[in-house]
Amino acid sequence: MFRRLWSSTVARIVAAIFAVQILSGAATMLLLHSQMLQVIASDRGRQINDLRDDLLAAFYEGGHDGLVRYLGDAHGSVSDPLIFVAVTGKDAPALVHLAAVPEGVTTDRPHAVKVLQVAGGEPVDATAVRADLPDGTRLTVGALNAPDRQFSIAFAEAITLTVVLTALLALGGALMIGLVISRRTHAIAATAEALGSGNFAARIGNAERGDGFDHLRRQMNFMAERIDRLVGELQTVAGTLAHDLRSPVARLKAAIETAQHAAPEGPAAEALALARTDAEALEDMLGAALELVRLESGMVADRRQMLDLADIAADLAELYEPLAEQSGTALSCQTVPVRVLADRELLSRALANLIDNSLKYGGDAITVAVRRERDHAVLEVADNGAGIAEADRDRAVGRFIRLDNARTQPGAGLGLAMVAAVAALHGGTVELAEASGGESAGRGSGRSGLIVRMRLPLD
Amino acid sequence: MSGRILIVEDDERLADYIGQGLTEQNYTVDRAANGRDGLFLATGSEFDAVVLDRMLPGMDGMAVLKAMRAAGVATPVIMLSALGDTDHRVEGLTAGADDYLGKPFSFAELLARVQALQRRGAGGGQAQQSVLHCADLELDRLTRQVRRGGRRITMQPREFRLLEHLMMHAGEVVTRTMLLEAVWDYHFDPGTNVIDVHISRLRRKIDDGEAMPLLHTVRGAGYRLAAD
Repeated sequence: MFRRLWSSTVARIVAAIFAVQILSGAATMLLLHSQMLQVIASDRGRQINDLRDDLLAAFYEGGHDGLVRYLGDAHGSVSDPLIFVAVTGKDAPALVHLAAVPEGVTTDRPHAVKVLQVAGGEPVDATAVRADLPDGTRLTVGALNAPDRQFSIAFAEAITLTVVLTALLALGGALMIGLVISRRTHAIAATAEALGSGNFAARIGNAERGDGFDHLRRQMNFMAERIDRLVGELQTVAGTLAHDLRSPVARLKAAIETAQHAAPEGPAAEALALARTDAEALEDMLGAALELVRLESGMVADRRQMLDLADIAADLAELYEPLAEQSGTALSCQTVPVRVLADRELLSRALANLIDNSLKYGGDAITVAVRRERDHAVLEVADNGAGIAEADRDRAVGRFIRLDNARTQPGAGLGLAMVAAVAALHGGTVELAEASGGESAGRGSGRSGLIVRMRLPLD
Repeated sequence: MSGRILIVEDDERLADYIGQGLTEQNYTVDRAANGRDGLFLATGSEFDAVVLDRMLPGMDGMAVLKAMRAAGVATPVIMLSALGDTDHRVEGLTAGADDYLGKPFSFAELLARVQALQRRGAGGGQAQQSVLHCADLELDRLTRQVRRGGRRITMQPREFRLLEHLMMHAGEVVTRTMLLEAVWDYHFDPGTNVIDVHISRLRRKIDDGEAMPLLHTVRGAGYRLAAD
């Protein structure tokens, strides 16, 4: 299920959009975080420098005592519990908010240090700067980094919330994009499907957006227009051919019949009989070709109805059974009731073609089978004759194709093409396969024959 | 048989061929080369049957047929068409044609159909009877029993229908195509000699060992069940 979903392009696009949105959201937050920390750090530096300057001013005004007094009065930010001050050197050290004087503080600019605020407590992170006074007193001013942590915690909460919200929005957005892509492609595919099944009037609905989809839509519609026109022309040609070619052939045959009437015996009669055979063959081929054009272009009225394939098979088998018996062929049916929406006449004609083919080329056992396979109905004719070499099978379904071993037999070479056209009209397919000896071919003569299998959709 | 037939066909040579054939069979033939003339003749005089081409200059065959039926002319009509497929057949028959024949056709096929229409018009022969007879051959449509003389003949259902159809049209030529349509309800040519083999089976059952064969092959046309 998941693998199938993943193989879907739309699912991948949705996932990619989702990932990009999450990543960009997280990156923005991290950048913002580091920027804020920098701002806070520089603020603290300025605060420490300002305090140092204030203390220096107090020193220059009142000397060491003035400085200690200033600290004792807790002026300005000295009262801030996060601020610490140490005055060391002369006399007893004066410590504000400190348990010990921090080590390694320099005079140039504020540095990160560890300080001990309460004796015996844990050293905490802080920033401090030092000033050396002329009387040997050493002044250390600093601030704890505690607000950073608070800020980080607050920020982490904000990030979590943002990530969750972004995830939801990103997922929603990605799904929506997926849905839009899916719907537009499905609309195009549905039209292509309609065109494929012979509805040449199908077009993709208008949506002037000027994007790639729109381009595709316009090209598809353009293509459909062209197909529609060509099929229309074909239809005209077929009709014209029917009228213009079949009539002369009918007259040719009529003339031969008249001549046969006038010369019932002798060499002329033999020649006329041959001519008549050829005229009839021509007539049949022409009829079959026109029929095929009609079927392939979908120019047939929809005469489909729910019917049982087993009945169709049984009727045809019954029609051919005496002929099969006469030619020493066992014709049998292996059917189960399978109801499909189909045109009885066309399907019967296709099946008649297959049985006729098998009788001509197919050994001594023919099986007509009807069964259900998952989501389609199968109608097949299997024989145990010479079969068709695998390399020739695709070709055999083509028009006017007569494989070498068929040259000696009469026929127009349109049989399998007609079967394929009928299957296509029903939304089905035709495949040729090898009948392994005995399995479908009945008597198990050891020879492998041919299976022609029509698959029709179930409703 | 004889009678008066109207041929409405724009293809002159085909019309000649049909006309000549029918004249040889003692029919009187009138001809029209377009739909308007055809309709004029068909509504103005009495005919036993009309052979009407579907594609005609001016007014096409379907329009002529509809106009004829609208004018209350009940003359049997056989429609001819290069579009001999099922779709057009059904369309033609719904429009009031009595039979439909795809081009090309053999004259024998047309003649058999014209005669069948004439008989149908004349009262349908044995169509309404429950027991059909032909010489000493007897077919009971209710009990589905077949006897020849005193001999009872067992029949498969399809053989029964085949014989029934031949007996309903006893004395007439019935073509292979007509049998396929009436007995099997197929409107395509299954080729080779599918029907011939069915007929020879039937013939073995009813004629074997009899002095007088009843089921005859009419060369180039079809079959005829008759006592002569």
